[in-house]
Amino acid sequence: MSKREYFKDTEDATLLYYEEFKDKETILQQATPEPEKEIFKIVGQYTPRIDGEKIVTGQAPYTHDISLKGMLFGKILRSPHACAEVVSVDLSEAESLPGVKAALPLKKGRVNYAGEPVAAIAATDEKIAEEALRLIKVDYKPLPFAVTVEKAMEEGAPQVLEDRPNVPPKPFNDYSRGDIEKGFKEADFIIERTYKTAVEIHHTAETHGSVARWEGDRLTVWDSTQAIFSVRDGLARWLRVPASRVKVIKKYMGGGFGSKLGINDYTVIAAMLAREARKPVKLILSREENSICVGNRPSSLQTIKGGVKKDGTLTALYLKNYTSGGVGGGDRCAEPIIDVYKCPNMKVEEYTVYTNTGASRPTRAPGHVQGTFALEGFMEELAAEINVDPLELRKKNYSTKNLGDTGIPYSSKGLDKCYQMGAEKIGWHRRNKKPGQGNGKVRRGLGMASQIWWGTGRPGTLADIKIHPDGSVEAICGTQDLGTGTRTYMAVITAETLGLKPEDITVKIGSTEYPWCGSSGGSTTTPSVAPAIREAALKAVEWLKQLAASEMKIAPDAVIIDKGKFINKDNPEQAISFQDALRRQRREMVFHGECGGRSSDYAYNTFGVHFAEVEVDTETGQIKVLKVVTAHDSGRIMNRLTAESQVIGGVTQGISTALFEERVVDETTGNVVNRNLRDYKIATSMDIPEIIPLFVDIIEPRMNIMGTKGLGEPPRIPISGAIANAVFNAIGVPIREIPMTPDKVLEALKRKEG
Amino acid sequence: MKDFKIAEPQTLEQVISLPAEEKDKFCLMAGGTDLLGEIKDEIISPEFIVDLKTIPGLSYIQKDKDGVKIGALTTVAELAENPLIKTDYPALHQAALALATPQLRNMGTVGGNLCQRPRCWYYRDPNMKCRKKGGSQCFASNGRNKYHAILGARICYIVHPSDLAPALISLDAEVTISSPKKEKTISLADFFTLPQVNVRKENILEPNEVLRELRIPQAKNGEKSTYLKFKERGTWDFAVVSAAVKGTVSGRAFKDIRITLGGVAPIPWRLKIAEDLIKGKKVTENLLRQAAGEALKEARPLKDNGYKKELIEVVLSRAVLSLM
Repeated sequence: MSKREYFKDTEDATLLYYEEFKDKETILQQATPEPEKEIFKIVGQYTPRIDGEKIVTGQAPYTHDISLKGMLFGKILRSPHACAEVVSVDLSEAESLPGVKAALPLKKGRVNYAGEPVAAIAATDEKIAEEALRLIKVDYKPLPFAVTVEKAMEEGAPQVLEDRPNVPPKPFNDYSRGDIEKGFKEADFIIERTYKTAVEIHHTAETHGSVARWEGDRLTVWDSTQAIFSVRDGLARWLRVPASRVKVIKKYMGGGFGSKLGINDYTVIAAMLAREARKPVKLILSREENSICVGNRPSSLQTIKGGVKKDGTLTALYLKNYTSGGVGGGDRCAEPIIDVYKCPNMKVEEYTVYTNTGASRPTRAPGHVQGTFALEGFMEELAAEINVDPLELRKKNYSTKNLGDTGIPYSSKGLDKCYQMGAEKIGWHRRNKKPGQGNGKVRRGLGMASQIWWGTGRPGTLADIKIHPDGSVEAICGTQDLGTGTRTYMAVITAETLGLKPEDITVKIGSTEYPWCGSSGGSTTTPSVAPAIREAALKAVEWLKQLAASEMKIAPDAVIIDKGKFINKDNPEQAISFQDALRRQRREMVFHGECGGRSSDYAYNTFGVHFAEVEVDTETGQIKVLKVVTAHDSGRIMNRLTAESQVIGGVTQGISTALFEERVVDETTGNVVNRNLRDYKIATSMDIPEIIPLFVDIIEPRMNIMGTKGLGEPPRIPISGAIANAVFNAIGVPIREIPMTPDKVLEALKRKEG
Repeated sequence: MKDFKIAEPQTLEQVISLPAEEKDKFCLMAGGTDLLGEIKDEIISPEFIVDLKTIPGLSYIQKDKDGVKIGALTTVAELAENPLIKTDYPALHQAALALATPQLRNMGTVGGNLCQRPRCWYYRDPNMKCRKKGGSQCFASNGRNKYHAILGARICYIVHPSDLAPALISLDAEVTISSPKKEKTISLADFFTLPQVNVRKENILEPNEVLRELRIPQAKNGEKSTYLKFKERGTWDFAVVSAAVKGTVSGRAFKDIRITLGGVAPIPWRLKIAEDLIKGKKVTENLLRQAAGEALKEARPLKDNGYKKELIEVVLSRAVLSLM
């Protein structure tokens, strides 16, 4: 398909835009190497999960399913106070309860949030462990606390952490470029807006938990984790045992979203209880514990002041953010504003606000979700201010280099293509030319938001391909499948390379006894594992071709490999099977692959755009999302089926936080009041509309040999902003806060009338 | 969760002969969808549960000359699927369908739905001893109260969570209660009690009394009804505001009308003031807004729940207009 055809049937303005850039030979031509010819047959197609049947029939072993002989059950006693001095912990009565096999005091001194661990018990069953928790006598001296950002920022507020003020005066992110004052002077219009995002809880379907077993000085831990190697190294550090004697296993997982990165206290506690009791210990957290003490997405309060010329050229952007992750740090929300749009003059100040609530954890695209909501809401308001099409405003300020066109070139950036495909699919011309121009009680609107994320791989990731003498093949990597389909694309790449079918490949992952792979976070798993597997498989192919060539008595480079056969390229009649080629082989062969490095001359990022269509009931304030179209540039797609699932999952989560999700903390008692899935509302199937995932399929050869980038976080990033902008387009008044619950929409509509 | 025993009675007599003075020791269970949650969360810790499902003959929907009789153990799913309910009592049919999820409707019963406990997040927090649990304060009145009551509440700001109750009250349902003294039949509207009467309870039932049956009078000629529920998400959500309306329309006016709200007060809230203003007058959006406005003069919103006033106006208007 020619580029002409590709862009046909679109709106004139957009086409003109493309033509304009084509003439200037920018964007695609300059920023992206020419897409190579597609060489793959299975990679990039729709391949069902090789473990799908196991998962849906309940045969896949999750950490919750692990049951060992003589296993005990661990429970943690947690502080009911948002701030208190733990004067004493008396375990004696709990220890004497029949069935209790181990009891550990965990805290002396100050607890800083309701939910902080104070003591732990292991007992022969869960009920005894629970009963034992009730028998632990803790003498708390309650102290004043600040659980909300407003309270924590007040003068004279109780100090959350003993060693620092609630708002450390030095910003944790202090960035500037150009001359911000000059930028504002050059502007024809300047606006300033404040955006607010709520604290979001990960709420993985599978709650957090670990099972620990000691055999002498060797420790095996089954953990629901995104990072088996970090857990292994963390356990070794905390328990002072050599990493070589610790093994961590994670075969299947029901969600992580960042909350299961790194080593967790409950895992260490399970191992300590198991060592104390000399029995395996299973410690699974409850939904309530998942609501308060395994992480959250920090809130944000972002003020953006921006200047723009009449023609839409951005001249200055200034972001000030107060972000709160409880007793943990806030999120760096400024990356999107720093990077996405061409803007020479910029200033960023980000401050953490500490509160007496559970510590933050990375949450699927930490910071980018909040930052994009604010930035893209701001762009939308700016477009309305100068009366241009919001999409045109984004195109006008399109960058091909990072740091808003002031840095190094992107290795590839298909965002322009994403705009084109997405706008066409949603029917962007149907939007209200003027926000809120429609009539009636129920209004419709269209909105969009752009996305940037990293999603590069980790050089040094290892993977093996093992060929058995009988011709069977294993693909092995110490990665973990978060539910994204890692096993399946490992099989796909191996099968593709070796001329086999995905179901022929035995995939082994999820153990620290396999070749090293990093954490599954930051959308790095696919661009780390895929190239390593490919490299190992290519080495295996070389060797196999030599074996086959000697059997066939031809030169190795005359051998082609297809459908499980070695074929003589010059005489297709001559072909032998895998088994025939290996018939003299007496031992298994292992081929090592590694994810390679990349040039530092380029910036490597993923891009995308989401378009949303909504309906707003102006009398009830209820928002209904009618349709979502996404277009992503994540390099070469490994498995289109799971890639689409990934996007649908990200959009679903984003709709949920745009409309419903908020951790509610009570200021009087310091408690989180919605610690269950009834009161902490997550979108249901009834709230999710048609979602159309598109990919631009730009192959990214500079990053790795598979030309692929990450896709875990990108589809989570722009959706809340796209929905908010669609709401603005529908009702003519922006909602600058998520979740956009009916009370807030009604409030905003009143503001409009007023 | 603490251990409990299960009693499996065969007759209602066995249940009503339980000693009321030992009320803290036992609980009656129908579908269990609410009760088991309360036990798991340790809001209550009974020694034993009396499973009413083992008593035969408490699940039925029967038409007779006076109307329809519904056994308390009829599941909400059975109610929702019943053709007679669907044609004669649309409000009840719609309320049943708007309730919870298919799984919960399969387990939950009509009687259990009427007797369920409030979802106030302070009441449901095992760490907080609020008035309803024998404490001395209502945490909601000065706390996070977006979902709490704006009508009829003084010492405790729960809202009654039932969807069926407003529909049944608008349909003039009566309830039959088996009691150690003698079986009694009262109007369902009189079944529910405000916290001011007894803050520990939401209705008149004594621990050893059983809500046995509901009766709805024969639908009058030309009678229409509807249940409109406003909830935040598409399913599995309690009403923020709901309205059950029943009436007989003549021309552009109601000859008679009943309006009962859900989600706004500690009990299903009958809007008598609005009914009187609407009855006999030509129905316009203006009239309905005015009627709602009058009825809402007694509303006392808290910090976060003032928006419920606007929602009441809209939900009430839309429900009434849908019958025209």
